[in-house]
Amino acid sequence: MDYTDAPDVAEFRAQLRAWLGEHPDLIKPVGHSDEGAIAHTLAWYRALAGAGYVTVSLPAEYGGRGLPDSYEAVVNEELAVAGAPPPPPIGHIAHAIADFASEELKARMLPGLLSCTEVWCQGFSEPGAGSDLAGVSTTALPTEDGTTLRVNGQKIWTSGAMWSDWCLLMARTDPDAVRHKALSMIVVDMTTPGIDRREITMSTGSREFAEVYFDDVVVPVENVVGGLGQGWQIAMGMLAYERGPADMGWVGRIGAVLAAAQQDVRTGRTPADESLRRRLASGWVGLQVLNWHVQRTLARRAYETPGPEGSLDKLLATRVEQEVYATLLDLAGADVLAEDGAAFSTYLYSRAQSIYGGTQQIQRTIVAQRLLGLPR
Amino acid sequence: MEIRLNPEQKLFAEAVDALAGDLAETWELGRGPDSVAPPVPDAQHWDAVAETGLLALRLDESAGGSAATCLDVCVAVEQLGRHSAPAPVIGTLLLIEQLRLSAAEPALVGAIASGRRRAAVTLTHDLARFATSPADAYAWDCAGAETAVCVESSAGKAAAYPVRLLRSADLTRSTGALDLDAGASETFAVDTFSCDAATRLTCFALALITADLLGVMQTALNVSVEHAKGRRQFGAPIGSFQAIQHLAAECLVSVEASRSALWYAAWAADELAPTEALLAARAAKAFASANAVQVAEAAIQIHGGMGMTWEARPHVWLRRIRTGRRLFGDENAQYAAIAGAQLGAGAGAGA
Repeated sequence: MDYTDAPDVAEFRAQLRAWLGEHPDLIKPVGHSDEGAIAHTLAWYRALAGAGYVTVSLPAEYGGRGLPDSYEAVVNEELAVAGAPPPPPIGHIAHAIADFASEELKARMLPGLLSCTEVWCQGFSEPGAGSDLAGVSTTALPTEDGTTLRVNGQKIWTSGAMWSDWCLLMARTDPDAVRHKALSMIVVDMTTPGIDRREITMSTGSREFAEVYFDDVVVPVENVVGGLGQGWQIAMGMLAYERGPADMGWVGRIGAVLAAAQQDVRTGRTPADESLRRRLASGWVGLQVLNWHVQRTLARRAYETPGPEGSLDKLLATRVEQEVYATLLDLAGADVLAEDGAAFSTYLYSRAQSIYGGTQQIQRTIVAQRLLGLPR
Repeated sequence: MEIRLNPEQKLFAEAVDALAGDLAETWELGRGPDSVAPPVPDAQHWDAVAETGLLALRLDESAGGSAATCLDVCVAVEQLGRHSAPAPVIGTLLLIEQLRLSAAEPALVGAIASGRRRAAVTLTHDLARFATSPADAYAWDCAGAETAVCVESSAGKAAAYPVRLLRSADLTRSTGALDLDAGASETFAVDTFSCDAATRLTCFALALITADLLGVMQTALNVSVEHAKGRRQFGAPIGSFQAIQHLAAECLVSVEASRSALWYAAWAADELAPTEALLAARAAKAFASANAVQVAEAAIQIHGGMGMTWEARPHVWLRRIRTGRRLFGDENAQYAAIAGAQLGAGAGAGA
């Protein structure tokens, strides 16, 4: 048992810290609801990519650094601790393309993706396929000459769709095959005629999500990632990959918020009665346990492919994040409700943790059936 | 970064698993509160415990021990928890560590660690810390003990008192009252604790009880899941119902998160500075205390009416877990201590 960084990880961490220290201009809080914030976020992504800290786990031949996933976790963690914006959420897309796409497609797509000069979104969820992801009904049917696919349907909760250049789209390419086997993953140019994007304003005021409509959108057949019918397999790998490194970022971010609240209580700036002091301690305990658990999960990736155990991490993260933000809302007192609605939004956002990336109910069912072996 | 048990620890866990299974086999739960056997192994089984070196784990090799890490001991204790082992091993481990850190006579420590002498640890009446005075002391995990030892560090002595067993809620680890009328039957010289040693001892105790809670809750979940696979209602196993599945799933989150917490806290107890190690141990104990109760109560629920009978095990687990939760402070006591360390004294503590 050893929780300390190996020497090469420690050196990587020190270099990243030094780089962050040299770029205070890039490290400032980012909202995601106005044009300026989006421009700043993209500038941040490009600077981080330019310094070599984006998708470091991708093989060097594709523009990564060929490092283990644990280094991705270090990037997420250090950015959070420094108060910097998160890294671009593209690791799972980059791995899907690097692992499955043709050499031609990799050569065309990976440089823009990794340098963040081209922005990507992920077209999975649909109005009729949320938790039931295999139920997507968007079709991408081969045209008569076989050189193109024609896409029709609607995607929803597409993060960053309003300003994306490319979409990794999951669609049904074979109307006759059974649910999972008919799905394929396709790279779609978001400027193609027939695509209509409509912004969704979330309850927090965030405008990061959109609906995307596809009306006879023609896509070259070369843009299929892997083979036709491989979409489900690729999607499952992406969802497993999504957890882990990014969780360390969450831990770091919640930790920074909690530490600031503790500081305010310690200095007397924020009053806290016994009940709130106890809840702050309980939230801190939950966050420590989450941190240790996520570290254990990450360490396991060195010798095991990520599997359904990730659902445990998600469920634990949900418990902790929702407890902490509810405590911080109460700690902030009635002023938040009366005068500072923006602070309410940070609490409100925590309610999404049990919905996105597989709802709490879906995660519990996965744990019960795949980890505990309870019958379907 | 290496976050898993090493091959030696896994082998050791298997050995203790077998031993704890034997201890549990020989114990009679009886047909009700009046026929349950005391949680004490016979001489042959206690010798078997001592022969594995379990009691001497923390002693130096020169003293017949194996200089084990806190995590090594926790690996063993988790197995005792898995079987709700009805034998005073954890209490003895705590007493030996307490005596070791206070530089008590090696002959005394050696006699206890070799199983020749059966002595119990003493805790304050709130079960929240080691007793420092016999006036406020229970003997704990004391079945079969000839005496209970109260380490009065400030007086530079440890005193042994005769013990009278009480009717404790925990069926697998007894509580006892000290017989003070006759005075101490023996006293031994000990050194005064340094502040660091006292903190290390607290970390060790918190980690061990966390390990026991983990073991018990793991078994409570495993057996409940098996029950849910076999028990049929409405023409289907109850484990196929989402209500049962989701309850069990949250239990597994509790178990695995507690394991992650235990591993870190046990590692920290040896590797980190005392204040840091103590915060980690408190966090792990707080989390396991709160979560183990949830799991044990869920186990009764999943077992249904059967889960409320004497003959079924869920009450044995809940009794042990409710007691473990209190030992060295429940989650509320840990939160108060953590808040004190992180947030300053606060209004309530100033009075």
